Amino acid sequence: MSVLLLRLAGPLQSWGSAARFTRRTTENAPTKSGVVGLLAAAQGRRRDADLSDLAALEFGVRIDQPGSRLRDFHTAHHSDTLKSMPLSERFYLADAVFVAGVSGEAGLVQRLYEALLEPVFLPYLGRRSCPPSRPVTIAEPSEGELEQALREARWEASGWYRDKRTASFRRRGQEAPDDVRLDLLLDSPADPDRLPDITLRDLPMSFDPRHRRYGLRGVRTTETRVPIEPGARPSSPPPPPHEPTSLLTPVTPRTD
Amino acid sequence: MYLTRFRVNTHRSDARRLLGSPHRLHGAVNASFPTPPSREGSGPRVLWRVDRNANSETLLYIVSPGRPDLTHLVEQAGWPASDEPGWATFSYADFLTALHAGDTWGFRLTANPVHNIRHEYLKEGERTKRAAHRTPRHQMRWLLERQERAGFEIVQKPEDRRLLPVGDEYELVVRDQIPLQFRRPQAGEEPRTRAPGRADVQITKVTFDGRLRVTEPELFRRTLTHGLGKAKAYGCGLMTLAPVRGEGEA
Repeated sequence: MSVLLLRLAGPLQSWGSAARFTRRTTENAPTKSGVVGLLAAAQGRRRDADLSDLAALEFGVRIDQPGSRLRDFHTAHHSDTLKSMPLSERFYLADAVFVAGVSGEAGLVQRLYEALLEPVFLPYLGRRSCPPSRPVTIAEPSEGELEQALREARWEASGWYRDKRTASFRRRGQEAPDDVRLDLLLDSPADPDRLPDITLRDLPMSFDPRHRRYGLRGVRTTETRVPIEPGARPSSPPPPPHEPTSLLTPVTPRTD
Repeated sequence: MYLTRFRVNTHRSDARRLLGSPHRLHGAVNASFPTPPSREGSGPRVLWRVDRNANSETLLYIVSPGRPDLTHLVEQAGWPASDEPGWATFSYADFLTALHAGDTWGFRLTANPVHNIRHEYLKEGERTKRAAHRTPRHQMRWLLERQERAGFEIVQKPEDRRLLPVGDEYELVVRDQIPLQFRRPQAGEEPRTRAPGRADVQITKVTFDGRLRVTEPELFRRTLTHGLGKAKAYGCGLMTLAPVRGEGEA
C-alpha cells in the first residue's frame, strides 16, 4: 500500500458533512468527501465522473492545530435579479492545520500526487472561498501503512501556535515537554465485533450536482505523540558586540 | 569631549518610562549638564544613544562637549545604593585626535534615515515632505551616500564572503528598525486640548553595525561629535567606534 500525506492549512477551512440548507456547519477535521473532492478536482474529474476508486482509498486525518470556530452570518443578493438569497449561517475553522492521508494502490496514489503538483481545478479546503495557504503536498508517496505514516509525520503547526503552547506551559511554571499529543481520526476497519467511535455521512458516492450522494463511514479515534524538533524557529540573532570605551581613559571622579 | 556610559536598571518603572519616551530621555540627558547645551548648532553638541545588547544590558551612551552629571538618572533609573558609581565618563578628545586616515574601526550608529519627497500635487517651490526610508536597502544607501562627506568609507566585503549577488557588498548590517511616534507637548499648552495628531513626532530609528575606514580625519571627527542625520535630540546620529576583532569574523 502506498501512502500520500497532505498538509491542509489555511486561514479558513470548512468541512461540512451534515450541513444542509441554510445552516452550513463544519466538522472539526477534514472529511473524506472533502479530501476526495480535492483530489478528484486536481485530476480534472467532472462532477458526474465515477469516483469509486477514490472513495475506496483508506483515509485518515491528524489534527496538528485545531483552530477556532468562526460563524459567518451570510447575506447575499442574486447578481442579476438582485433578489435576496436565503439568509444563512456558515461555520469555518480559523487557523487550523491538519495532516490528511490517503492510502491505496501505488499507481493511483502516484497519479494523485502528480495531479496535485499540476492541478486541473485548484484545490480548496472544503469550500471554494477557503484557499490553502501553502502547497497541500508534503512529500512524494511512500510505501507503508497509513496509520504509521500519520504517526510519524512531522508536526506542521505554525510558529505562533508553537510559541503560544510553550508560553502556556511556562506560565504554569512547567517545562514544555519535547513532544505533543495529537488526535488521529482513522477509517474504522469493517470488523463486526468492533463498533466505530464516530459515524459520519461523508463517504462520497457521487458529486453530481443534481443528486449528491454520500454513504456512512465509520471513524476510529486515537491519539499519537509527535516529537517537536528543537530549533524549529530560530529567534532573532543577538546584536553584534560593540564596546566603544575599551580604548578610552576614564576621567577620575571629582573628589572635592 | 567626553563619552559617558550609563547602565539602565530596566527593572525600575522610572527607567521603563524613560526608555519608552525619547522625549523624556532627551530631557533627562539635557538636564545632566549644569550649563544648558548651546542650541545655535555650530559647535559640537550633545548626542546620545540607547544600546539594548541583552535583556539585562541596556546602556545609555552620551557624547558631549561638557562633562555630564548623571546623579538624577542614577536616582531614577540606576542603582543609587550601589558602591560603584552609576556611570563612567571617559575622555574622548585624545581618542579623537589620534584618529588617522586609513584606520579601520568597527562602528555602531543609530540614525534616522530620511529623504525628501515631492508629492505630485505640490507646485514648484512648495515645501517637500520629509519621509523615512523604510527598507534596509534604502537605509543602507542613505548611509553610503553620506559616507564621503562624513569622512569615512564602509569597508567592502571580499567577493568570496558575499552571500547575495546584489546587496551584500559592504561590511554593514541594518537592524532594529523602530517606528516611533510620540507627542511633544508645547510650552503653555494643555496637552488635552490640542488637536490629535498635530505636532506629533514621527521618526524611524534604525541601527547600523559594520566596519569603516577613516578617509578624512577632520571631517570624521566632526561626524563623531556633531552627529549624522536627523533627530539627534531623540537618540539618533551618534556613531561610536570599537576596535575590530580578528579577520574573518563578522
